[in-house]
Order: sequence, then C-alpha cells, then structure tokens
Amino acid sequence: MHIPDGFLSPTVSIVTFIVTIVFWAISFMKTKNSLDERQVPIMGVLTALFFAAQMMNYPIVGGTTGHLLGGASLGIILGPYAGCISMTIILVLQSLLFGDGGITALGANVLNMGIIGVFIPAFLLLALNKISKGKDLLAWVFISAFAGDVAAAVSAGAQLGFSVPTFQYGLSVAVPAMAINHSVIGVIEGVVTMVLVGALLKLRPDVMSKSPSLKDLPIVQESNT
Amino acid sequence: MTKINRESIKNLDRNTLIVGLAVAVIFVVIGNLVFAYAMETLDVKAEELEVTGENILNAPFPEYVIPGFENEWGGILLGVVATLAIFAVTLGIANLLKKKKE
Repeated sequence: MHIPDGFLSPTVSIVTFIVTIVFWAISFMKTKNSLDERQVPIMGVLTALFFAAQMMNYPIVGGTTGHLLGGASLGIILGPYAGCISMTIILVLQSLLFGDGGITALGANVLNMGIIGVFIPAFLLLALNKISKGKDLLAWVFISAFAGDVAAAVSAGAQLGFSVPTFQYGLSVAVPAMAINHSVIGVIEGVVTMVLVGALLKLRPDVMSKSPSLKDLPIVQESNT
Repeated sequence: MTKINRESIKNLDRNTLIVGLAVAVIFVVIGNLVFAYAMETLDVKAEELEVTGENILNAPFPEYVIPGFENEWGGILLGVVATLAIFAVTLGIANLLKKKKE
C-alpha cells in the first residue's frame, strides 16, 4: 500500500501532508501526556514486529500481493496517538532507507496506514465495547482491524483516484480495486490482531489496562487488580 | 488477585522483548524466503497505465537488499539489523515522550 513518488498529483500530495502534519502534532502532544512507562518496551517491540511483518507479502487476488499493516494492533494496544507515532517511524524509515514509499507521498502513506489504519480500529473498538459492554471483545477486535485495513485501502484508492492527471483510472476504478483486494488482507489483519490482543490480555494485563480502547472493560480491570 | 510488583513487571518486560523480537526475526526470515515476491494492487494498476513510480531520493538499500549482496541471506541480514534499529529508535522516542514521574 506504499505509494511511491510520481503516482499522486501535487495537490493530493500537499493536502495529505497538511492533514498528516496536524495529526502528528496532536499525536505527539497527546502521547507526551499519556504514554505510561509500562507501554515503552511494548511500543518498541510492536513497532519492530510490524516493520518485520510488512516484509511478508501474501498472494491475494488476481496475482497481486499485500502485506499486513499492523495499524489496528498498534492503535488498540498503544492507543491511537502512540500508534500513529509507531507507524510513522516505520513509514519514514521504510521511505528513507529502502525506498518503500516515496518521500512526496509520505503524507499520504502516513495518512492511510498511520492515521486511518490506526485511529479507525482504535475508536471503532472503543465504540463497539461501549455498546456491547465488553461482551464478544475479540469479535469486535477482528471487525475493527478489518475495517481499519479496508478504510486505509479506500483512502489510498481515493488519493490515486483524485490524482487523475497522473493516475488516469479515476475514483470508480482505483477505490474498488484497492478496497476489494485489501479486504483479503483485512481478514488476515483481523485474525492477527485478535490473536495478539487476546494473548496480551492474558499475559500483559498491566499494559492492556493503559489502552484507551480496552481500559474500561471489566476483563482488563479485574486482571490488573 | 495479587498486585503485579515492580520486579515482576521487569521480568514480564524482558520476556515480552525476547518473544516479540524473536517473532519479528522469524517474520524477516519468512518474508525473505517464502513471501518475498511483491506485486501490489497499485503497482498492477500503475503498470496498466504505464505510470512509473520512480522515487526522488536514492535510498541506500532499495527493495530491501544490500547493493552487491542481492540474495535472500543479504535480505535477512538487512531485515534483522533494520528491525533492531527500528526497535532502538522507537524505544528512544518513547522514552522521551513518556509521562514524567510526579
């Protein structure tokens, strides 16, 4: 899903950079006031883990491949603001060191994978947990992660669709192509996120009790007392 | 239930680091040996339109390979070093950002 230089129109590049810079500022300010000491090691591990996970390209539809994003796990476990910073670290280093994602498309790539792919799962899970009062938690984790991946793909498709002078397919082709193909990855993302969140709830309730999406759940509060 | 004390948290952190980084290394190995081929949807669509995505910056390790050492073992070595570097960078940033003790 990493967009290289040359795919996006200048307008789309500039607008996505502006939106991303606003989210970076908010994320740094919010993280500075909320990141707990216990979350520091897990933030390092998860960032390294999903950088590595993005190196695996799974065959999906029609000879294409896709990779996990990790945004759902980062957003749900660390919270969306720290999750955004984690994904930004991955995307910046991928762009600068490996040429994976263009520097002019960095704003768009962070917006897709580090903001939409992180914030949507985190806030969707929070809302679903409030409605269900914590029942069927892992099912909601799966749905939130799946939705985050598809939303990120739709956003990337929309950015390509709006870059008509460069990318002539337009919205009607770019958005469905990205959404359909990446929904397959969304299922894998959902399962991985579910397994990771489930394991950490059992093994590290102290860390999960700091997650804004999970901290109010009885299961987290009980296991951390 | 017993309250988790500081010593047990340190042990849990150490176990989390060991397991998490070991899994990351396994991902790097599998990514280089099994799931290395990449042809993403947007690359296919770009090829159909004959749009070329040339990056402006010359990355030192394009396509996740060490120049002059373009095989899967070079990729694994680079992937492991990069994973550990990202871990260290993130720990540094997270330590700067964490809540200060009152």
